[in-house]
Formats: sequence, C-alpha cells, structure tokens
Amino acid sequence: MKYSEDFKKFPKELSDSYNTVQSVASRVLTEEEFLAWEESGLNIANRGARAWESAVEYFRATPDILNKLPFVHLKQWAYWGSLIAEESHFASIAYFKASRHVSDQIKPWDVADWAQLGKKLLGKDSRSGKLSVSYFENSAEILKVLTFSEFKQIILLVETISEHNTDEAAKFIDCASEVLPVLKEDTRPCLSLISNLVRNHWQQSTKCLSMMSSVLARIDTVERSRFLSLSARISEEQNTDVVSFLHESSLALGSVDNYVHVNILNMADRLSRTNPNIVLNYLKGVPKALRRISINQLELWYDLGMSILKDNETAGIAFFSGESSRSEDMLEKLSVGVELSKVKDIMRLYCRALSAIDIDISPEEQGDDAHGKSWVPMDQMLAEGANIYLPFVSEQFDTKDENFDWFKVMATHQIAHLEFKSFQFSFDTPSTQYQDIRDELAPSMSDLISEVEMADFALENEQQGTQQDFGMTEIQRFFAIFKDRPLARDIFTAAEDYRLDHRVMVDYPGIASSYKRVQLQSISNRLPLSELPSQEALVEILIRFSLQQTGTLQIPQKYIQLTSAMWKIIRPLSTKGSIVEDSAEATIRLYEIISNMSNQKPNEEDEEQDFEMDPSDGEGDNEDSEDESTSNSLDSETEEGSDNIQQYQSPQQVDYRGEFKPELMQAISMIKDYQKEHESTEDGISKEKIEQILSEADSPPSEAEKIDPDAKGTFVSEMAQDLDSKGNPQAVLQQSSYAYDSTYDDEDRRGPLEANDPDSFLYDEWDYRISDYRNRWCLLREKEMAEGDSAYFTTTLDGYSSLAGQIRRQFELMSPQGLQKMKRQQDGDELELEAVIEAMVDKKSGSTPSEKVYLRRNKVQRDVAVVFLLDMSASTAEAIDETRRLADEWDAPDDPLEYMFWLRSRRGEGMRRSYKRIVDLEKESIVLLIHALETIGDTYGIYGFSGYGRENVDFFVIKDVQEALSERVKRRIDKISPLQATRMGPAIRHATSKLAGIDARTKFLVLISDGRPQDRGYSREGVEKEYAIHDTRIALTEARRDGVTPFCLTVDKEGHDYLRAMCQDMGYEVLADINNLPRRLPTLYRHLTV
Amino acid sequence: MANKDTYTSYQTEEYYIKEEPFYLPVADEVELFEVAYSQQMPILLKGPTGTGKTRFVEYMCYRLGKPLTKITKKSQPTSTTSIPLMTIACHEDLTASDLVGRYLLQGDETKWMDGPLARAVKVGAICYLDEVVEARKDTTVLIHPLTDHRRYLPIDKRGEVIEAHKDFLMVISYNPGYQSALKDLKHSTRQRFMALELNSPPPDIEAKIIEHESGVSPEISLSLARLGEKTRNLKDHGLNEGVGTRLLVYAGKLIKNGIAPRRACQVAVSWALTDDFQVQRSIDEVTHSIFE
Repeated sequence: MKYSEDFKKFPKELSDSYNTVQSVASRVLTEEEFLAWEESGLNIANRGARAWESAVEYFRATPDILNKLPFVHLKQWAYWGSLIAEESHFASIAYFKASRHVSDQIKPWDVADWAQLGKKLLGKDSRSGKLSVSYFENSAEILKVLTFSEFKQIILLVETISEHNTDEAAKFIDCASEVLPVLKEDTRPCLSLISNLVRNHWQQSTKCLSMMSSVLARIDTVERSRFLSLSARISEEQNTDVVSFLHESSLALGSVDNYVHVNILNMADRLSRTNPNIVLNYLKGVPKALRRISINQLELWYDLGMSILKDNETAGIAFFSGESSRSEDMLEKLSVGVELSKVKDIMRLYCRALSAIDIDISPEEQGDDAHGKSWVPMDQMLAEGANIYLPFVSEQFDTKDENFDWFKVMATHQIAHLEFKSFQFSFDTPSTQYQDIRDELAPSMSDLISEVEMADFALENEQQGTQQDFGMTEIQRFFAIFKDRPLARDIFTAAEDYRLDHRVMVDYPGIASSYKRVQLQSISNRLPLSELPSQEALVEILIRFSLQQTGTLQIPQKYIQLTSAMWKIIRPLSTKGSIVEDSAEATIRLYEIISNMSNQKPNEEDEEQDFEMDPSDGEGDNEDSEDESTSNSLDSETEEGSDNIQQYQSPQQVDYRGEFKPELMQAISMIKDYQKEHESTEDGISKEKIEQILSEADSPPSEAEKIDPDAKGTFVSEMAQDLDSKGNPQAVLQQSSYAYDSTYDDEDRRGPLEANDPDSFLYDEWDYRISDYRNRWCLLREKEMAEGDSAYFTTTLDGYSSLAGQIRRQFELMSPQGLQKMKRQQDGDELELEAVIEAMVDKKSGSTPSEKVYLRRNKVQRDVAVVFLLDMSASTAEAIDETRRLADEWDAPDDPLEYMFWLRSRRGEGMRRSYKRIVDLEKESIVLLIHALETIGDTYGIYGFSGYGRENVDFFVIKDVQEALSERVKRRIDKISPLQATRMGPAIRHATSKLAGIDARTKFLVLISDGRPQDRGYSREGVEKEYAIHDTRIALTEARRDGVTPFCLTVDKEGHDYLRAMCQDMGYEVLADINNLPRRLPTLYRHLTV
Repeated sequence: MANKDTYTSYQTEEYYIKEEPFYLPVADEVELFEVAYSQQMPILLKGPTGTGKTRFVEYMCYRLGKPLTKITKKSQPTSTTSIPLMTIACHEDLTASDLVGRYLLQGDETKWMDGPLARAVKVGAICYLDEVVEARKDTTVLIHPLTDHRRYLPIDKRGEVIEAHKDFLMVISYNPGYQSALKDLKHSTRQRFMALELNSPPPDIEAKIIEHESGVSPEISLSLARLGEKTRNLKDHGLNEGVGTRLLVYAGKLIKNGIAPRRACQVAVSWALTDDFQVQRSIDEVTHSIFE
C-alpha cells in the first residue's frame, strides 16, 4: 500500500491492475517481499513515458508467476523487466506476457538468462524492438520442443542474423516457432543444418527453415536426419543455393519410393564428400534413372560416375547430370525397361510395314484422361494416317527383349484393327459365318429407343445440322439397333478383339509366343469374375475368351450355361476368313444373352467351375443353341429381386489393347472424304463442326461430355502460331525471345531436349571438358526461308554484270568438256591410226607390237554436291567499314537480358542502314555463285542458320539440295537477314546430314561466316570461346568422316586465331577485305572443286 | 574346243532359251507381248528390280519360238526355227560402238567385228537392253532408227545400213524408281516403245513363284510372300525399293537348305535391302512376327 499514491500519477489502468492482483500477492508474499514487489512495479512504470503499460502487464502476470517462481527469481524477473522496459516498452510488455508461459517451461533460475537474452537482442537499432518482441512472443512455442540450452543456441543464431539484418532475424524467430514444433525428432539435425546455414549463408536460413516441414515430409522418416546432415554438408560450400537444394532434392526424393531413399542418400553422401556441388544434379537425375533401372543397378551406374569424376571433374558433373553420352549408355545397358522414345522409329516402320499406312506413334497419356487421349490426336488423325498409343516405357518383364515384345504385341494388336479392317464395317456387307439378322433387327430394335429419346435426337440434329449433312456412319447405324449402347459397344469390342487376336496368332505365328505371354499377363491383372455383377461378369467372360482362346476357364457356377452358349456364338469368329461384320452379328446374339440378364451384385457363395474352351464346339448350327440359352437366361434371372441390381459399368481395359473406337475412326474417314470432295470449292467443314461430329462419335450420346473449350482453344492458337512462324524470321525471332523470357535462367541445367515435330532435329554437342558428347543437346528447327522479292536477284546480277559474266565464263571452262579422247588404250571405240602404224612397224621389224592401239572417248563428268552455310547472326548486320572495330566487341553480354537487348540494338542498326552490311555481301556473293553454278550443273544447296540458345537453333532453307533454282529460291535470297547468334555445331551437323542423302563423288560444305561461333551457353563459364570452337571443330570432323570436305570462309579479321584451331588441317580462308567476297567466293569454289 | 566339257559357250546370236522358263503371268502381259511382237512393236518394260523383267523376256522369247519347235517335233530347236535372245546389260560406259561393232587389228589387217546389236539385227533376235538409261546418250542414235518405221541399223564406220530381220524386236527395260532425274529416259526415246509395267505380284502368285523357284513348302512360301508385301509397305519410308521376288526366292532357298527362317530372312531380306539399322530392325521385327 505504500506506493498506491504513486500509482495514481499514472493512468487509472495501472492502479486497476495493481488492485486486482495485490490481494493475491499479499497473501503469498511476506510483507517485505510485497513491498519489494510493489516497488519493482513502480520502478518499471517509471522507466519511460509509456513504461506504465509495462507495469500493467507486470502486475497482470504476477499471479501466475507467483505460483511458479520463488520470490528470489521473481525479483530478478521484475528487475530484468524494468531494464527491458527502459529500452522498449513494447518489448517489456511482450516479456511480461510471455513469461507466464515460459516460466512453465524453464527452470526458475533460467528466467533471468531468458530475459537477458531478450534484452541482448534489443538495442542495436530502432527496429530491434520488433525483434525482441517476437523473441518473447515466440519463446514459449519454441521452448515446448527445445531444451533451454538448445534454445540459447538458436538465439545465438538469431543474434548472428540480427547483426546482418534485424528484420530477417525477427522473421527467423517467427518461423522457428512455427516450424520447430512440427519437426519433432528431426529438430536437432535440422538445427545443426540451420546453424551451418547461418554461419555460411545467413540470407537463406529463414527461407530454409520455413520450408523445412514440407521438405521433410517428402522424405522417408528414418532418413530425414541423414538428409539434413547431407544438406548441412552441402551448405558449407561457397555459393550454394541451399533453398533450391532442399526444395529440388526433396522433390526428387519424393518422386521415388520411400524404401530406396536410404540407398540414394548413401550414394549422395559419398558423392558429397568428393564433390558436394553435383549432389543436387545427381539427386535430380535419380528419379529419371530409376524409371529405367533398379536401385541396385543404380549403384553400378553411380560407381561408373564416381570413377569418371575422379579422372575429370567436369566429365563427372556431366555424367551425374545425365548429360553425357556415357551416362546415357550406361543407363541403357543396365535397364531392362524399354523406352518408347528409343524404339519409336522402329515401331513406326514396323506398323507401316504391317498396315501400309503412315502410323504415328504417340505416348499414352498418363492416367485415364479421356479428353487428353482423344483430342489432340484426333486432329492429327485428320491430317495424317492413323495414330496408335503405346506407353512411355515397357518394364513389366524381366528382360529387355520381353519388354520390347510387349510394345510389339501392343502395336500388332492395334494395327490388326487396320490390317484386318475393323474400321471398314459396312452395315450392308453380309457376314460370312452367321446368318445376317442385322436388317431385320434394325427396325424392331429401334422401337426400343423411347420416343423421348428419339425426339431428343432429332432436335439435336436440327440444332446442330451436322448429322444431316453427313449422315450416320455405318457403325453408328449398327449401334443404333441396341438399346444399351455402352454394353453393345463393349461386347462388340470383345468380339472383335477375339477375332483379331485369333487372326494375329494365325497370320503371325512368330509373335504368337510373346502374344500369349502378354495375354496371360493381362489376365492376371484382371478382376476375378466372382467379384463382378452379372452383366459385367459375362462381358468379362467374353474378354477372357479373347485373351485365352483355348484351355480352361474358371467360371462361377451360375454362369456356366450362359458361358457355353456364348462360347458357341463367339467361336466361329476364329475362322480364318471371318470379317468385322461377323463380329457384329456375334455381337447381336451375345447382346441378347447379356442384356436379358439383370446386372446383379456378385454373390460370394458361388462356386467356381471349370469351363473347357473346346475349339470344336460351336461349329454346328449355332442358331438353335443360342435360342435355347437365351430363354434359359430369361427364366433363371427374372425371379431375383431388384435391390441388388447395379448400373452396368464397362469392363477395365485390357492392358495391351489400347482403345478401340470404331465410330470415331469412321467419322474421321467420313470427314476426310468430305474434305477431299470439297477441296476444290474451298467450302470445307468448319472446325467446330468437325469437333462436334468427332465428339459425338467418340463418346456415346448417353454419356456425352462437353469438351473442355480451353483445350480446343489452345490447339487452335497453336496451329495459328505454327502457321505464322513458318519461315518468317521476324516471327521466329519473336517466338524465340518469348521462349527465352520464360526459360532463360538455369538453361544449362535442363539437360537433354526432345524433338517433337518432324522439322525438328536433335544433335549432340561436344563438350571438350568432359571429352564426351552431351546428349541431344541442341534442338534445330528447319524452316523454309520466307520469300521476298525476286527482283533482288536480278538487280544484284545487273549491278555486278561484268563480274557476273566473267565468273560465269570461268565456270563454263570448268564444265565437263563432253567427251575426252584417251589415246593408246587396250580397248576402245576405234583404232588409233598412229598407234596402229607403230604397232605394224614394230611387228614388221620383229619386235613385239604394243597392244594399246585403240582410241577411247571417255566422258568427263563433274559429280559435285555442295552445301553453302550462311551465317545469319546479328553480327552480320555490321556495316562493312565497321568490321575492324568490331573485332574487339564480339563478345556478347553474358547476362541474357542484356544479351537480348544487345541483339535488338544490333538489329536496329541494320534497319536504318544506307550502307552495305556483311550480310548484304554474303547475299550478293550467293547470287553470283548461283548464277555461275547453274552453268556447270553441280548439285548445291544454300542454307542459313542462326538462333538463340541450344534449344533454338534455326536452320533456314534457302535452296534445298534437291531443289531446282526457281523463282521461289530467288525470292528467298532476298529475305536473308541478320538474326541472332551463331551456334555453328548443330548447323554444320544438319548440313552434313543434308549431304549424306546425296549421291555424289565429291561433297563440299562451305561455311561462310563473319565471326567465331558464339551463342548463349555456347561459350561456357570460364572457358569462353574454347567450348564453341571445340564443338565446331568436332562437327567439321564429323562432316569429314561422312565424306564431306568442309571449307570455312570468314570475313573476320581476327579469324586466324580461332580458325586455326577450328580447321587445323581443313581448308580455310580469311578474307582480308570483305568487299572481295562476291569476287572471291566463286573463284574459291572453282579452285576447290576442280 | 578343249574346254567343251567344263563350260558351254554360244555365239551370242545362237543363244536360245531351251527350257521353258518359269513365269506366272500377273495380268495380260503375255498376250500384249505377243501382239506387239507380231506387229514389230518395240517394248519398254518398267518395274522395280526383282519383279521378273528379265525372266519375262526369256519366257516370251521361248514362247514365241515354240510353235516352230513344235513343227520340227524336236526338243532341240534349230537356229532357223527359234528366236535367239540377245541380252545386253547397259552400263554407263556402254557406247554406240560397243553395240554396233568396231575394227579389230588382226594379223596384218584390220577386221570389222559386228557388235551384239548388229548381230541381233541380222539374225532377227530379240534384243533386250537391260537398264537402258544407264547407257551413254549416243546409243540413242542407234536405237531410234531401229525402233520406228525405218527398222534399220546405221553403221557409220563402214558406211552401211543394215535392215532389220523381220523377227528382230527391241525390248528395253528400266526402273523408274531409283535413277535420278538426270538419267530419265528421253521422251523421243520412250515414245517409240509400247510400255509394260511389271510390279510385284500379289502375294498368292508370288507365293507360287517362291514355292516353285526355291522348293519350300506352300506355307513358308506364303509367309515369305507376305513378308515381301509388308516390306514393300516401307518403300519411301526408309527403303528406296521394296524387296524383289528374287530376294524372297533366295530366302526360300536358304530355308529349304536348313537355315532358320528368321535368319534366312535377315540375310536375304533385311540386310540385303538396306544398311539403315533402324529399317533393318523393323524388317527383322516383321520377320519375327511372321516366322517362329
């Protein structure tokens, strides 16, 4: 009570809070203590302008604290509170508030330490108050999971961070209180990682901590601590991005089975001791590798990688990143799985051979997304032949051969639909094995369709106006006679599959054994009959027929009779001459049996019985037996109650069979026919209509689904984009700069590329540092050059008229001089008079005459094919007189953004030109050369190349090797213009492949460039031009290996330096004066090829 | 001749087809040939390699000579009653004088030696110029007067013109597929011939041919024929030329003599057809599907 008056000086709230607690305090404390307690309160309140607020909290916290702390510590508690209040009343409020909870968790004598720590965080700068506040606020949460000494360690970390940045430190504490409680047993290893981080990369520590729980969730529980200690080791490295390491490596681990984490981390651990920098690459590569090989094989792969790493660090890095050929080869050697991409070409040719139709093989979409499956390919189908689907990888079997066979079986089955004409169903074609009842059924069955449904149907047609235009397809007509179309469709599919599989076995005995193996395997994956409702069970039995063909089936007893009836019906389909219409007839009969049955839930007690599939069965008159069984089924089923009847569901798809969509295929061919007919009049069907028809054919009306409009939209816009970009350099430019925007960072790390369209080509690239090729490293797109004005050609020729004439005359001299006389031959067309006389003289004089008395005319033939490769990089936009200066400025900025800017500015320069650019001289030389080449009839091609980055190498066709010189070619020359960077390797490789297809005795590749190869990522970190030069050299060597003589012509004054490395023993020439190019090029060519 | 026992040689104009060659007509080509022969109409045979162009000419030669043989009632036809067949394989160095003839130095004098074409014209043979586009252009100078109403062969060096025997017929063949545009037949040449196209026979006929030629069972023949059919689907998709019947017959012969079918097809079909590994692999896969 001594100080109550003093309290009055402060706002009333203080006295109030004092009053509420003083009775409690007085009860517990001795008088002396009580006074001390009061005094502390006053002391606190006096510590600053708003310190009274702290005092309020002090009093409020008192009752709790009194219970927990002996008075000695309480006094200390108050003392520290006052010190804190002096610095920041916010902090002290938080301190008093938090102490209620914290005091539960720490020993009383630690309270002072705790307070002291908080105070230490205070002070440094204006924002440290906030840090301290969050320290106090979060202490309780953190202390729940940590001992006080651990807690102290954490706070030491916080202090370290706060030395750099106070806000960050506060965030760190907030984060710690959220994350640490969830980590449980992983907390300690996590802390050691974090403390490592704070030491080495304090900026990343908060972020890492915050993602810790989601990261660890992806990793097997027992391996978490090891993962963390691995991360800790990684974090000790300079310049490590621990955040992305944690994120990406945990994602990678999360995508493989938990039980292999131990092995993967073992390897990662060993790797991290040798080279911590590639652990992430390794971890990222693992899921991909594990898709192909087992974890044990992964060890072998890893060992090879380690041995490479020891010899050559860069090579090892490339190996573990899955970028080197050796890594790929090893994986290939080890894996038993067969990847579709590896065998796609073989399968495509195989299918082409079997069916005589161009088949496109597409990887199956993962999951069962029906839209994804049918939409994009549908448009492809309209454009091309047919499409079959194979999974990405085949790996169910133990050997590579068996897995490959699985692809083959799948392909053979799907192709069988084409080969044995499943899609050419015609309603009116008579069947060969059955009596035709389709026609009779057609009207009577359609009665079954309710009036309402009919009306709906008609209305739909009216609105859409499509069916009227095109009518129904034959197969739609057929399915229209059934009431339950999904059921009919499934029966038809099973019957047709039965027919086809049988046919395949007979016609292709070689594949039969693999086929049987696959069939058996599919059977093992199917649901047992006893678990299916009646109708589905019967359909399933049909599928089993088609899968097993002969032998014994285990059939629940109640189906035995029906099974034998169905067997009799389906059996004739195995006759060799059976056709798709037979399957249709069988479908009608089978449908009758199955649809008469209600779809009852399975009955557990049913016993199974053997059903012998006797091949001789059912050869007799099946009409009778079928009638019988139909009536049987009716009798047996009617008495059952209706509660356990289910909606009919289509059976699961047979693994290897893919989807069978006869309606869709017929609809497509109908549209195609229509388009063909109307091609001339240009009034094709609108895209919407096509989509509509196809979607109707694709999904039965009953379950008609709406096609995702977005999906369509994307497709159309892609198409449009495609059209736009074709051959138009500017459009290409834009496109690639877009591509760049989204993908520029981290480009080297993205590994091998994929080529997805026919005009794209993938090339390996040589990395001299790893002495190996980087797999599928460059994506080259071949495009036709856009067309400009052919006047350019004539104008240029006029401009150089005297030179052109001169060159042409020189070339005419080279052209074969018809027949050349060869004298004194052993054999020939006529006798050579002089030789004959000599021979006679010899003879008369007694010596042996020469037998070489004939004259022979030999045809002298030039047999030269040449490809000119023009550098169309941005640097060719330089004005000619600037060339000298520019030699020093060749180096493009490394930063991608700057680089794009740099490119654009260079191009901009070109736009406003009134002077000649390097590229103009290139063009003029080409014109003159073409003019001259035409006189000697050499085969020649002209291509330009440019690009940006390894995934955007553009290869422009100005004149294809096989193409004749036409107006179009002349127009294309006009469009040669400077574009982007120069990645020579892939362009040379592609040009070489162009020549490979030409039959000529001498082949040349003339590379006309203005500077050394240079592209983003083409001169790698630290090695500058070396990388590009080595790759270019290897590309040139490859060309030579393929019988092509390369020649480099450059206008770069500095050229000597790098050309020497590039061409060593190959031909090269540096033009001292670019203006000489038009004159020099034809001359050079003449000398080269003589 | 001393070597008579070890080999048989003929003067080119005395080479007759003695045994009936095996030839299964695919369409009406036999009838057409007969009419053309009777009307002295030169014939151009087109078709990919191994489709039986040469065999067809041999067969027709035998067939056309046969009625005369019948009259003499002797198995050995005589030179006056049958038609000799003169086959000249054209190559890129084949010149006009190779066909017409040249002077040879013999003893102290030069002696004129008739070339095969001159001989054929004189005796009235069927002269078959195989792969005619390969020959040098100057040969057309000879072909033209022989294949229109003139029907004579000019021999410049001797200042002669030889009128063709009434039985003389020129048959040329070429394969439109693989030659480059440069080597296409000139229009002035091709428009002097009636053209017959021989393509790969349908599987059933081809199977019979294979069966006859190689002696394998009808089943294997049919399988081989189907392999042929499938392989031809790859034409222009990796193969420049589909497999000819000849190769299938080779495969049949290998199988007949104990080589496993898959292996036989590999060596006689896929490896023979192409060097492209992918295509070889595809054909092997087809083979593996067809043969056990």
